[in-house]
Amino acid sequence: MKYQNTFLMFAPVFLMFFSIAGDAFAYSEAPNLAKKVAAGKLPPVDERLPLNPRKLNFKNLGLKIGKYGGSIRMLMARAKDARQMSVYGYSRLVGYHPKTFELEADILESFEVKEGRKFTFELRRGHKWSDGQPLTSEDFRYWWEDVANNKELSPVGPPRIMTINGELPIFEVINRYKFRYTWRRPNPDFLPRLASASPLYIYRPAHYMRQFHEKYTGQDVLKKTVKKYKQRNWAALHNKMDNLYRNDNTDLPVLQPWVSISKPSASRLIFKRNPFFHRVDPEGKQLPYADSFIFTIANNKLIPAKTGTGEVDLQARYLRFDDYTFLKKGEERSPYSTRLWKTAKGAHLALFPNLNVNNPILRKLIRDVRFRRALSLSVHRHEINQVIYYGLAIGGNNSVLPESPLYRPTYRNKWANFDLKKANRLLDEIGLVKRDSFGIRLMPDGSPLHLIIETAGESTEQTDVLELVRDSWLKIGIKIFSKPSQRTVFRNRIFSGETAMSIWSGVENGLITADSSPAEFVPTSQQSLQWPKWGQYYETDGKAGEKPTGEHVVHLLELYQRWKNTATQKEKSKIWEKILKIHSDQVYSIGLVAAVLQPVVVSSQLKNVPLSAIYNWNPGAHFGIYKPDTFWFAPVGEDRK
Amino acid sequence: MTTKHFVNKAPFDPNAAERLTPEQERYYMATQWQLMWWKLKRHRLAMISGAVLAFMYFSVIISEFLAPYALTTRNTDFIYAPPQTINFFHDGEFQGPFVYGLKYKLNMTNLKREYQKDKQSIQKIRFFCRGDPYEFWGHVAARVHLFCPSVTGTLFLLGTDRLGRDVLSRIIYGTRISLTVGLLGIIFSFIIGITIGGLAGYFGGWVDNLSQRAIEIIRSFPELPLWMALSASLPVTWSPILIYFGITIILGMLDWTGLARAVRSKLLSLREEDFALAAQLMGAKPQRIIIRHLLPSFTSHLIASATLSIPSMILGETALSFLGLGLRPPITSWGVLLTEAQNMNAVELYPWIMTPVIPVIIVVLAFNFFGDGLRDAADPYR
Amino acid sequence: MFSYLIQRVLLMIPTLIAISVITFIIIQLPPGDYLSTYIAELQSQGENVDIEKIEALRAQYGLDRPMIQQYGLWVLGMFQGDFGFSFEYQLPVSEVVGDRLLLTLVLNFATIIFIWIIAFPIGIYSATHQYSLGDYGLTFIGFIGLATPNFLLALVLLYLANVWFGTSIGGLMDPEYIGQPWSTNKIISVFEHLWVPVVVIGTSGTAGMIRRLRANMLDELQKQYFVTAKAKGLHPLQALLKYPLRASLNPFIADIGNMLPQIVSGSAIVSMVLSLPTTGPMLISALQSQDMYLAGSFLIFLALLTVVGMFLSDIALAYLDPRIRLGGSAEK
Repeated sequence: MKYQNTFLMFAPVFLMFFSIAGDAFAYSEAPNLAKKVAAGKLPPVDERLPLNPRKLNFKNLGLKIGKYGGSIRMLMARAKDARQMSVYGYSRLVGYHPKTFELEADILESFEVKEGRKFTFELRRGHKWSDGQPLTSEDFRYWWEDVANNKELSPVGPPRIMTINGELPIFEVINRYKFRYTWRRPNPDFLPRLASASPLYIYRPAHYMRQFHEKYTGQDVLKKTVKKYKQRNWAALHNKMDNLYRNDNTDLPVLQPWVSISKPSASRLIFKRNPFFHRVDPEGKQLPYADSFIFTIANNKLIPAKTGTGEVDLQARYLRFDDYTFLKKGEERSPYSTRLWKTAKGAHLALFPNLNVNNPILRKLIRDVRFRRALSLSVHRHEINQVIYYGLAIGGNNSVLPESPLYRPTYRNKWANFDLKKANRLLDEIGLVKRDSFGIRLMPDGSPLHLIIETAGESTEQTDVLELVRDSWLKIGIKIFSKPSQRTVFRNRIFSGETAMSIWSGVENGLITADSSPAEFVPTSQQSLQWPKWGQYYETDGKAGEKPTGEHVVHLLELYQRWKNTATQKEKSKIWEKILKIHSDQVYSIGLVAAVLQPVVVSSQLKNVPLSAIYNWNPGAHFGIYKPDTFWFAPVGEDRK
Repeated sequence: MTTKHFVNKAPFDPNAAERLTPEQERYYMATQWQLMWWKLKRHRLAMISGAVLAFMYFSVIISEFLAPYALTTRNTDFIYAPPQTINFFHDGEFQGPFVYGLKYKLNMTNLKREYQKDKQSIQKIRFFCRGDPYEFWGHVAARVHLFCPSVTGTLFLLGTDRLGRDVLSRIIYGTRISLTVGLLGIIFSFIIGITIGGLAGYFGGWVDNLSQRAIEIIRSFPELPLWMALSASLPVTWSPILIYFGITIILGMLDWTGLARAVRSKLLSLREEDFALAAQLMGAKPQRIIIRHLLPSFTSHLIASATLSIPSMILGETALSFLGLGLRPPITSWGVLLTEAQNMNAVELYPWIMTPVIPVIIVVLAFNFFGDGLRDAADPYR
Repeated sequence: MFSYLIQRVLLMIPTLIAISVITFIIIQLPPGDYLSTYIAELQSQGENVDIEKIEALRAQYGLDRPMIQQYGLWVLGMFQGDFGFSFEYQLPVSEVVGDRLLLTLVLNFATIIFIWIIAFPIGIYSATHQYSLGDYGLTFIGFIGLATPNFLLALVLLYLANVWFGTSIGGLMDPEYIGQPWSTNKIISVFEHLWVPVVVIGTSGTAGMIRRLRANMLDELQKQYFVTAKAKGLHPLQALLKYPLRASLNPFIADIGNMLPQIVSGSAIVSMVLSLPTTGPMLISALQSQDMYLAGSFLIFLALLTVVGMFLSDIALAYLDPRIRLGGSAEK
């Protein structure tokens, strides 16, 4: 009796103990890691994981529990491609959800945004770098104070995105795991930049980097290290060693699922599992499932061929749509399947009339909206789609895609149907009535309307599309010459206004939500090929470039400013609608086709790779948001799907 | 009877022994060139090659007429169509040359375009017909072709490419660019080579030394980087024609060393000859001596060398196109066509795209054999 | 002989200096520099580039200095054994090149041997059976290799090797063996892959070699001493090998110096197509991205090899052929 009572009294305590203990022992790890733990080389798994690791919700993501083991083989074309591991690993402070594209905490345990300008971040207690050292606010302070604001390491100051209205944020460390950035005005691009494919790294492994920093290491020791790595000075050394994105320093601790162990010049880059990775599956198994990720470097023209002979387990990069037939044929000989994912650019290819072209006559013409509309009306998008994309793409403007919540058919279709009569009428209206003996219209100064469309000279696809465009524009009396160039020269000529029109891919992300930045639709950057000088004006705060003119363009800039300062979703949506409407009216770029399919080759053994998904750089990180750490190899013989 | 002596009753001709038979006279009175020609005629392979080359260069003049389709004609319904064979008999009856029609279907599982012969549709080939309009050498509009497809049909003797363009027509048009690139390049090479080699060989001394070093330097460079750097520095603003000339100059600029060395060594030996000495004594200037007296004695060698260098120019053009540095679409040359064929899709699925390699091989072989023949013939006293 | 040697060595020095200047110019010739190419690339992939950071990098890499200074620093560095820093690989040049050098040498030597093995018998046969069917036939085959553009031939052979023999596409060995220590299996794998590049590069070299050998042999075969030897009863083959062949070996040795740059060039394109881990593709991509030190130092290295090679072959020639030795510089 007595003991029964004692037992009952202490039972809850025992239960609690067991449940905590149960939690503590609920994590499991890969067999080869377990071996190392047994040999004393690694701490046990529950000490390696943070107290509250990120538990992935497989049900919500549509994933199956996997098994450990295997190496995921992939082909890359250049040594530089080692950075793709940081893209595919997609370990970020905050990341995009693969279906809703909402931002979720990943490395962070939680984040809080007030008024769009106060960002409070909290780390996971016990989260460690790949070398076992703890990740704390100190790593963030180190970056902010000792790197971004250090005159020698960052002579031009912190990255632009940290500056709002010319002001830097206030950074405060609240405790060992909590810190905050505060601006005076909203910074809507901050979180998206942290979640992007090529993210902003606002932290560094301070415990490792201190040896390269003059503030923390004595001059004589530092000088020796500088000499050892053949750098010019300590700043050059620090900048060389601290790049978390490039994966070119095998000693640098990272937070990625796989860590580089190969020299950057090797032809086979091997990435081994990070024993301190912070994610687990619903059963408590520490991710990633695969032991390693291997990039084999090969000539990019051979990659489709090598893929077709079964040398890879997962491949999308360097595969193009017209390789599909070849890849399908290879399925007869090797065990893989070729999936087609959708790309999410606003336009796979678009023509960009240069509103800042130097030639005054052309400039006047290009700035006349009727001219741009006529050009857009005479592109036979259906034919392009049929001939080059087997009819599987969608023609239309360089604008938002149907899957986006902001989509309206008129955004894609206005001025995008094929109507030669209307086009000819518009051109007649402008006054280009006279024609020469070949039927080409004459410009006001009597010279024939010859447009030179410049390309970066890298893809036959662009040349082919231009052939098709050429034929249909001949029917409205415009003759085009396509001029292949070289990438640097191509861009420089556009920036300096020498190019009248260019062809390139369209808006980077067509899956626009209210929170997406409208920067690409507004002259904010020199990189926009239709208004490079206006963009440059904005980028350099008026020091270079040209001041934007034209009521619609100025209106776009105003809308952008308003979007940046708005906090509510509803307001942001409304602003977006206005922006999209202006673009469909004004035809600032002539979109050709979009939603071109991307072949993705997946080995029959590799599971948890989506059958159909969106292949996009940003947001998306190509494979990143689908979490390659959850891909696993089923043993041979199991269900083949 | 005693033996009879035979005495010729004809009048005595003191030169009789020395008189040549007509054939012998022709031989000794022949010029250097005639001798070369006779020797060349005996080399059958060289003659065949010469004929082939002559034909190809002639075709350059009438490319538009020869090709069944115009350069930019596309058939969006017949993309990647396989070659059509010419038949003469259908069901045992003679129909004249014709092709069977093509039926097209898109296989949606592997996105492959599938073509089948339609035995019901007989498309007779027309000759001297009105086909695609073209502009002869870019200026004279015309429509006459040597042979063309039937009015509603197709004639893809070597299949079509990814935009539905007839491969054979593109090859014929490409001949114009590829063959002339070689010729122009050689002319440049010639001019530079003879000048430098001539000066070096004749004057000797420091001129010779300097040019020897220069030649050595250029020869020790791998061609590739030189090509790449020079091509990459051609301004992009140049029109395709200018770039084309630029490429020929580049190819020629790197080729003259062999020629210069040959010229130099010949001159070194020849200038000791009596006839050169005589000319010198008569007060001729070095320039005149070199050009009028020394050079002609080995022009045949020069021509032979030149002929043997043209193939490397043609191959050089294809290599540059492959690296993306030479001619690029929309200009059509064999190099451009081959670059488009340079992927596994072509090798495995559409091998007819690779047929432009055949004229390249033929022309290179022809030049080589012809040049060999020329060189053998240039030494008539062997 | 000795003075001849000294003279040649002394002449090599200005040659090398001129080569270094030309190399430098070549690399700087295309517009822009490494960083501008790098920026354009990043931007066109949609990656974010902080322009100011690049400018800082430019100063750090020394690309903002005047040309002459850059050249001077580079040459001085080379004398100290420092071949510079590769921007693309972020490693010293010597490390980047070093790994690939072994395989390049293996490939090139295999090719040279292949050329000799094929060219020799064909050349001799052609010369002794001039204008026969065999002569035409063999020369034809030799020339086909020359006439076919290398890159296309390489691709086709690659495909056939995969379909017929199951050889993995591209590379010098199956991917599993890369970076692994040498084993029998690895060596077998290398041979399986090696034959494609050797055949492709070799066939274009054989034609020239055949032609030269044939021409020289034809010259020698007419000479009196050969006729005398045969008349005196020496077996024709023996006579052939002992006398005219030795005399016509001249070009083989003289050509070694010539062959080197050609093989390096020819093998660069083929290596690129076949994705071989040799120095060729590395050089091409370095030139395309204007990775100054990598391209420049490697080119100098190649030129040096060639100059030294030509020098050695001149010496060998002088040794073998007394006429050259005694004639010396018979240039008036």
